[in-house]
Amino acid sequence: MNIPMHRFKYTKLTKDQIGKALKATEAGPKSKSDLSDVLKGKSIKIITQNGPVLEYKFDDKNRLTFSENGGKKIKAGYGALTLRQMIFFSHMMPEDQRGYNVYIDQDTNLVTVIEVGLSTGRTEPTLGGDPIVVDDREVQRQLYFGYVEVAGQEAPKELHHLTNRLEGKGLYWKQDTGHEVLELYASVANTNFVDLTRQADDLSYVAPSDYVRVNHHIFIHDKTECEFSGMFTSFVCDLFECTQAGVRLGFNEKDELEYYMFRGEGKVVGQLAFLEPFDEHGKSGMVYQAPGDPTIPGKWQRMTYRPARTFKYMTDEEVHEAALKNTIKFGGTEGAAPQMMAINNMPYSDILVGKKFILRYDNGGPVRHYEFPEKYKLRYMEEGENKWHEEPCRVYEGDDNLAWFAHMLTDSKPRASVKMAVDLTNGLTTCIHSHMGTKYYGNETTYRAIFGVCEMEGLEPPQYVRHEFTDELVGHAFSWSYSDQMTSMHLYTSPHSMSWTIFTANQTMGAQWCSPCIYVKLREGVYLFCQNEEACNGAQMIELINTKVTHDCGFGFSGGATGVNLGVVGALGRHIGCFNIREFYGPKKKKGV
Amino acid sequence: MAILKSQTDDMQADRGRRSFIWKVGAGMSAVAAATVPGYAKTLFSSDKKTNIDDLAKQITILENEKIINVLHKQYEELLDKGRYSEIPAMFTDNAEVVFNGGLFKGTSGIKRLFCNCFASGMTGRKINHAPGIDFKPEQDRVEISPDQRSAKAIFTYSIQVGAPIDSDSTLVKMARLQGEGIRKWWEAGVYEVSYVKDIKGWKIERLEYKTFAKADYKPGQSYAKPISIPIFSKVFPAEPFGPDRLVKSV
Repeated sequence: MNIPMHRFKYTKLTKDQIGKALKATEAGPKSKSDLSDVLKGKSIKIITQNGPVLEYKFDDKNRLTFSENGGKKIKAGYGALTLRQMIFFSHMMPEDQRGYNVYIDQDTNLVTVIEVGLSTGRTEPTLGGDPIVVDDREVQRQLYFGYVEVAGQEAPKELHHLTNRLEGKGLYWKQDTGHEVLELYASVANTNFVDLTRQADDLSYVAPSDYVRVNHHIFIHDKTECEFSGMFTSFVCDLFECTQAGVRLGFNEKDELEYYMFRGEGKVVGQLAFLEPFDEHGKSGMVYQAPGDPTIPGKWQRMTYRPARTFKYMTDEEVHEAALKNTIKFGGTEGAAPQMMAINNMPYSDILVGKKFILRYDNGGPVRHYEFPEKYKLRYMEEGENKWHEEPCRVYEGDDNLAWFAHMLTDSKPRASVKMAVDLTNGLTTCIHSHMGTKYYGNETTYRAIFGVCEMEGLEPPQYVRHEFTDELVGHAFSWSYSDQMTSMHLYTSPHSMSWTIFTANQTMGAQWCSPCIYVKLREGVYLFCQNEEACNGAQMIELINTKVTHDCGFGFSGGATGVNLGVVGALGRHIGCFNIREFYGPKKKKGV
Repeated sequence: MAILKSQTDDMQADRGRRSFIWKVGAGMSAVAAATVPGYAKTLFSSDKKTNIDDLAKQITILENEKIINVLHKQYEELLDKGRYSEIPAMFTDNAEVVFNGGLFKGTSGIKRLFCNCFASGMTGRKINHAPGIDFKPEQDRVEISPDQRSAKAIFTYSIQVGAPIDSDSTLVKMARLQGEGIRKWWEAGVYEVSYVKDIKGWKIERLEYKTFAKADYKPGQSYAKPISIPIFSKVFPAEPFGPDRLVKSV
């Protein structure tokens, strides 16, 4: 698929449509690998904590009879796979649009049960709006921990439990279907994944997840592609051998039901540091925390960021009307207080005061003449114009003799801003040209990078050498503290995308979302990073990242009902680690989708 | 005998400036006296009727003190656990709460304070005193009126106070999703509380937060420095979670 998931219009499948499609699951899941007959002829009773009692009789390799809480006996198709001492089996109850995925540790008789359901009609609070009813096609899950009852044995005191032992770890997986995926577990509640097979673009996405510890090297994982197809994937993995056995359930972008089991092999691609206290083991799940209502929510609930639900569509004209009433530049006044995202910013610089130059961008790009009479004010004139435009500006010295500044384009429609890195040592420049509006939303920004040279007395810019796009940051993660109250971890997941993760109060990595982005190399260790929160809030962040001082500085550009805003952004960074994933990207890696 | 005399003297002393103030410590001694056979015998020997009446009154006062203490503990616990919606029921219909330069009045005002203002900032979680901040707490005390229909109390507090970070940024929205997105700090002071008793029992009639110290402290931090937090400058509805009236605040 070459439409990014966050742009794809997934069908709102009805309960009836889903029910009809799920009839196919009566036969049990398919599998490329041979399913196991380890359970054939056996009967087991599973007792779960705060969940159902499940009684199973496995008639053969594919058929079982079971009951919930001593209720009626139900026949269903199932499939089972083994992985070391683990048995994993999966079955559905098509009439109920529910099913169970059961992971049994034969060494301990401990069990993790993941109940799944579709068309649950579950409501969920949103951020600032009324509660929503979750789409019927989105697979819901509920975890229960328990054990297999053994006659004459006491119930175990310790059960499987949620864990942070996978937090910060990244794995590459290749399944027996040929499907390849990068999964970066940079949160205890989400998975950042790049579908290397199904998606034409190397974009990363975020899926709410659970992580369960079986023992020190075996873990159970699930993720649901909420806000996208709603697809559910779960597996048990053994990190000693980097193998997995799992299941995929849900409706793909063609609304086709996928219900199959898989085996996979993989490799660990890196580990980020996690910053919570050393005695924090992540045993408590993260749930939606309405202020003042910290009680654990009901069945199926999970912490899911659903930004598009509250992002109100505006036309280009509506946004421009708002901009005419209110276009804010750098807080509005010269001495404006630092903005929330810039408490830890780099200082403003007077490096350009008194300077004059021409920025000439390639391939018919803009040519602008600049003068800097004051620290916070510039004049510019497009080539061919005979009148100077005066605009407020903010200038940083992002690296030695490297100016980084921004301003609005006067009276632009749609409102546009430009951010320029100008290397006063070698005469190279990059401009990030941004304006309001995309083909999707009038209140979403767009950007492009253009490369060129700076013509200034005393500088001899090169003819061929230019700043260029780079993947050098790909795989790296930095925490960025905009203020003591606001820190986000940026994970540069692919050459075209990134994710951000919000720390909880004890610095566990929690809520997460993602966006496309670009990276430009200015110098060794100095980069421009530009991301746009597409289908989210439409805002963009354009930062100069100086890895030598682990500090960034830059600009934010956004617009909507309250007008258009060009602001400043800057943060103190910490390098959290790096995934070795660059090898998975690039045109040569694409085998056709 | 000597022990009893000294206790009686203490009681007399307390009948001076604050005629019906009973410090919890003194009250507990009186209970001990009343329940120890040797002491009771001595007491009854002088003027049985008066002493029995006094003692009965003292016991009622002690019982009411105990109820007030339990009520306050319940108030603190509800705050600590974030069960804000249960707090307004502890107040009378025309009660007042003074907090941060604002007076919240009546059921609607008190609901606004606890269910909106406090809830959005997760205010009220009990935390330790910020290190290095000079603050000498007063002693908790409860005084029951002579007619035992009302009471006044002072309780010290050391709590986390918070206010939502005012931003529509994605980061803040996501932080809110997981119960964060709140600027938090530490405050310590005393609650000055007035109670009234009706047929349903004791309720809070007025509660004032008298804050003596504020610092940029969070649990786990080894340092703190005093901070200044702006008081309310607008009232409801201009300030959606604001007070009904602005007042001079400590």
